[in-house]
Amino acid sequence: MNPHGEIPEFRRRYRYLVGVVGISFFVLLVRLCQMQVVHGDEYLRKSEDNFVQELRIATVRGVILDRNGRELATNLPSHDVYVIPRFSSPAVLERLAEELALTPDRAAAMKQTIQQCSGQRRWRPQLVARDITRDQLARLETNRADLDGVSIASRPHRNFVHGNLAAHILGYMNEVSADDLSRDRSRSYVPGDMIGRAGVERLYESHLRGVPGRRRVVVDARGRQKQGAEAAELLRGETRVEPKPGQNLVLTIDLEVQRLVERALRNYPAAAAVVLEVNTGRVLASASKPSFDPNLLTGRLSPDEARRMVQDPYRPLLDKVHREHYFPGSTYKVIPAIAALEEGLVDPEEKVLCKGWHSFGRRNFRCSHSHGKVNLRRAIVESCNVYFYTLAERVGMDTMARYAHMFGLGAPTGIGINGEVGGFIPTKEWYARRKQPFRIGFTLNAAIGQGNTKATPIQLASLYATIANGGALYLPQLVERIETLNHVVVQQFQPRIRRQLSIHPRTWTLIRDALRGVVNEEKGTGYSARPEQLSVSGKTGTAQVSRRARKGQTIWLQDHSWFAAYAPSDHPQIAVAVLIEHGGRAAKVAAPVAMEIIGAYFRYVAPRPASPVPGAPDVIAETAGEPATKRRSGSTGSR
Amino acid sequence: MKAVAAKLRQHFDWVLFGAMVVLGILGVVNLYSATSSTSMTLARQQVYGLGLGMVAFLGITAMDYRIYNRLAYLLYMFGLLCLVLVLVLGKSVNGAQRWLDLGPVGFQPSEPMKVLMIIALAKYLHDDPVVEGRSLKHIAIPFLVVGLPVLLILRQPDLGTAMIFCLIFLSVMLLTKLKLRSIITLFLVTVLSLPLTWSYLLKDYQKQRIVIFLNPGSDPSGAGWHARQSQYAIGSGKALGKGYMEGTQNQLHFLPERWTDFPFAVWAEEWGFVGSAALLGIYLFIILWAVRLGSQARDRFGAVLCVGVASLFFWHTVINIGMVTGLLPVVGVTLPLMSYGRSSLITMMSGVGLLMNVAIRKSSF
Repeated sequence: MNPHGEIPEFRRRYRYLVGVVGISFFVLLVRLCQMQVVHGDEYLRKSEDNFVQELRIATVRGVILDRNGRELATNLPSHDVYVIPRFSSPAVLERLAEELALTPDRAAAMKQTIQQCSGQRRWRPQLVARDITRDQLARLETNRADLDGVSIASRPHRNFVHGNLAAHILGYMNEVSADDLSRDRSRSYVPGDMIGRAGVERLYESHLRGVPGRRRVVVDARGRQKQGAEAAELLRGETRVEPKPGQNLVLTIDLEVQRLVERALRNYPAAAAVVLEVNTGRVLASASKPSFDPNLLTGRLSPDEARRMVQDPYRPLLDKVHREHYFPGSTYKVIPAIAALEEGLVDPEEKVLCKGWHSFGRRNFRCSHSHGKVNLRRAIVESCNVYFYTLAERVGMDTMARYAHMFGLGAPTGIGINGEVGGFIPTKEWYARRKQPFRIGFTLNAAIGQGNTKATPIQLASLYATIANGGALYLPQLVERIETLNHVVVQQFQPRIRRQLSIHPRTWTLIRDALRGVVNEEKGTGYSARPEQLSVSGKTGTAQVSRRARKGQTIWLQDHSWFAAYAPSDHPQIAVAVLIEHGGRAAKVAAPVAMEIIGAYFRYVAPRPASPVPGAPDVIAETAGEPATKRRSGSTGSR
Repeated sequence: MKAVAAKLRQHFDWVLFGAMVVLGILGVVNLYSATSSTSMTLARQQVYGLGLGMVAFLGITAMDYRIYNRLAYLLYMFGLLCLVLVLVLGKSVNGAQRWLDLGPVGFQPSEPMKVLMIIALAKYLHDDPVVEGRSLKHIAIPFLVVGLPVLLILRQPDLGTAMIFCLIFLSVMLLTKLKLRSIITLFLVTVLSLPLTWSYLLKDYQKQRIVIFLNPGSDPSGAGWHARQSQYAIGSGKALGKGYMEGTQNQLHFLPERWTDFPFAVWAEEWGFVGSAALLGIYLFIILWAVRLGSQARDRFGAVLCVGVASLFFWHTVINIGMVTGLLPVVGVTLPLMSYGRSSLITMMSGVGLLMNVAIRKSSF
């Protein structure tokens, strides 16, 4: 190959290439000269004059009301003043300080912040005054022409009327994150928007928020709106899309009940309590302690405060009613009892001797004390573990689990708030999967609500409500209806029965009688806390905490204290579950709290004419009179 | 070995290198102004991109370019493979699948493919020293070399990049002698394919841009926004510019996509006619310098490489500036070394690497 011989073929053509390049660049240069030198002034004027901008018209967020129409979360307008340093001047700042009637100190501080802005920050609006008064607002509006670079942004700000009250149910809001924005398909959020973060604020975000409107305007380079023919020409077509206001939420929560529940928990740093209507599944109150002020979280939370909240060992941000589960302890004993009765595995009169412990293999399973000879009823009333150990051996883990599931344990109730957890009910298969040799000891522990059995307070309240109403397992309900801004009903949520259990009437009678005994008999574990002039049925639970030997951490040795109840015993209206974290013995701690709630409810709230419940199913009465046929085994109807 | 290093130093083209570095730095400076009001990370990313580009540049310069002659088709096949992978595994951004996800960084294989295609074309023309006029049969293979990547890129779809491939191909073929009949046929094919392109290949937004280009008043507030705002920015810079970081169009975000497709508008607004003419001068210099290097190359392969890279720079520059000044419709073509984007930077600096390689080895050793 002769490399040098080939070049001449190309050589002549390079000249063409250079020519094409030269001409092209010459054209570009002429074009630039024409635009920048000849018509520069014209373009400059246009660039300062004509811009079409699309502005958003904010909507009003729906308010949240309690079941009687009392406000829980509303909106307050807040007006903030911004200055764009590039467009303002010392004279403007002077004037602004005067109109806002700032103290000399604050005026000086403002001037300093504006003057210190350099580089690109001079282009950005700087916040100089937050939440100004109506008077100040009026003065700024009238003097707008003299205040170059000053703008007022007004936005409705969420106001939680009762502060900490029902904080976990209401939730809180904060600014949308980059993540939210990327997930927002409809592109209706922009940076700076607030979004519901927890509670119903989050669950019903789409209803509460509404749809922002749009408005197209012509602005000059300084952001001032322009009017006139030229602007109109640029604004052909639709210039305004009206916003859709958010919808109001009416909760099932009763403000007064919520108040008295939170009051009853006043002495305990970490606790949870929930009150349900027995015959509708509606939540009257739901409290988790420690609480937080949603106004604080919705406004400016300093990083310090935020860190303190997250690191607080009592976990204030956690909704302990729905989001945390615990060993149910003895409150769980109704499950093995019902299972044994329904499966015909126990004679209610059969007695077991309790010496204070139960040996099984090499292990001893303890009881609180020696109960002597007890039958099923006494075992519930006096909370005898030994009786339930023997019962558990007979019933077996999987049958107990089947009944627990029937009563809604081991799965979320479906209330849907705050990422509800489902608790846990162990089965033999689960132990098999864990490759842990199954031991009958697991069954014994499961029978007294320990081992791996876990339940949330809402599940326990629902369980006791189901015992109270005779087998209707309701979907716990937090929102009664959705209304428009003007209180026209958009959607009404009726009570929903998740499952109608068929349990033999005799079983119901026996269990209810025992639960009544817990509170009303001298030997009952809840006797000391009983209220006057009111018959309550319930069950104590003292759940052992196996968190003792953790190195280098705060060690809480106290057990969790439970009380689950319904009242009145004869015609139950409400069910209550109370959990005091590390409260100690249930009889001394959780039971008095629950009794205070129940007592106060029937003294102050219940006598009030109740709001009618449209379409609520009738109270499911005990289906007495059914002949005591042989107990069905196996598929005890669970639908 | 020492002798080679000395040779490298002796023949290193400092003028070309200087022009490239100056453009890279101006690009970062400009990008800082364009994006500082929203985020500082783009300027920093661009500096990293320049670093990677410099590695590519040095790597390509270090090896004798005749190695690329030997590896040309292998490299080309690898590039094609990447383009196929993009269609299969690529990441969709704004409705087009152009990116390969490499862990934390994305990469746009259609960019380096431009350089790989130039190498492949050079290889073909080097091995096929036809002196008489080429008939259609003679350009069938180079046509295929360009056609395959163009088809793959149209599938993404990325019309702007596909167009650049075709333009580079035509520019390189201008070097060779074509029969009049071939030229007429090519011309007819192009003319006939235009209506087909309009109805089958162009997306609605692209058609809209062309309509607006032909009739700018038709929609001042809608799709004509980009073109209009960039022209306002450039014109309002006047003779001397508004000063660095002072461009209202830029800083008030009236310029869309100001870091990828419209850096020239940012530059022209802040530095005026003086600045934009100077920038134009640097581009013109690099292109003419590349053509000159081509004319001095010791073999066909080197000559075609230089002309290919020159046309790469030429078309990118002319189309981008023509677009922002309203001479051409809005298409997504980057401004070499000034636009934000790692793939584009690496491609352009690799191209300069090829030029440097030919420059160093033009006198035989």
